Amino acid sequence: MTSADGGVPAGSELAAFAEALVAADPGQLAAAISTLRQAVGDAGWVDAAGVAATFNAIDRVADATGIPLEPAKVDLSADLRAAIGLDAFRDGRG
Amino acid sequence: MSTDLYPEAKTPIRDDILQHHARALQHIAAPGAWFSGTERVAIAAETRLALECPFCQTRKDALSPNAVSGDHTHGGVLSETLVEVIHRITTDPARLSRSWYEGILAAGLADAAYVEAVSVVIHTISLDTFARGIGLAPRPLPKATDGAPSGYRPASARHTGAYVPVIPPGDEFGDEADIYDGMIGANVQQALTLVPDEQRSWFKLVSAQYLASAQMRDFDQEPRAITHAQMEFLAGRISALNQCLY
Repeated sequence: MTSADGGVPAGSELAAFAEALVAADPGQLAAAISTLRQAVGDAGWVDAAGVAATFNAIDRVADATGIPLEPAKVDLSADLRAAIGLDAFRDGRG
Repeated sequence: MSTDLYPEAKTPIRDDILQHHARALQHIAAPGAWFSGTERVAIAAETRLALECPFCQTRKDALSPNAVSGDHTHGGVLSETLVEVIHRITTDPARLSRSWYEGILAAGLADAAYVEAVSVVIHTISLDTFARGIGLAPRPLPKATDGAPSGYRPASARHTGAYVPVIPPGDEFGDEADIYDGMIGANVQQALTLVPDEQRSWFKLVSAQYLASAQMRDFDQEPRAITHAQMEFLAGRISALNQCLY
């Protein structure tokens, strides 16, 4: 495993799958599927497709409805948000 | 019905996914609270057309979505306001803002109709992402089911900080008493509750494709062929690519 794999088994293949799906590049996606199937098997591939399908949509639910972070997540992420200036970025969206 | 949905798939697909994908397609085609089945199928079709819209691509590439002007390339069935909603959510969701949302309301789309449109868009995107993820083309859209929209708006929905009114956990009663069954009522689980049947349908799909709410926090059980850690890593990567700040 490397830093690019998130420290999880088949992390690199899962990341490549995510990137190909969001990029909507058919050639990139076909290659990513091939390596992902080898890494996690066919049942794992289907489950990965389900997870990706869920989050590619639920991100849009969050963005389109403007739901705020839960208080617990606000507290947990305060240091990180401050470090990267994320709060100012969100406030500045036009 | 469900077994016919992906006949050319190169690997078996879990029955619960098949069942909920077939159900979700029928949900899209049925009359909702604010749109007819015909309008909902048109929203789903427009979601697909958004991916080919040159104006959306230009705007996506711009430093600010407000820096460019132009017209959407669309199916010509829905209002310009609804087309804007569908195309923005599909192609540039990370830069949606409260001021944009308020502009949509000012242009004449009611808040609950907006939520229903969001739901149809994301049902469509989810089904299409799954199909592409297993190496297949998106499924044909269903024929619309006859009938009039219900016009139902839950009495307990109110503003709590999101752009749209929601039913806060603890305020679910009457016909919405079930709305958070098995859930913790996280903000994202509240997001579509202004149109309760949309929230119900979406989280049934989430439970099949990903995990039920209780399964998300049960790290002693691994109900899928990939682990919690793998699922969360993949989910996080998708969300990062979408620049989702939630």
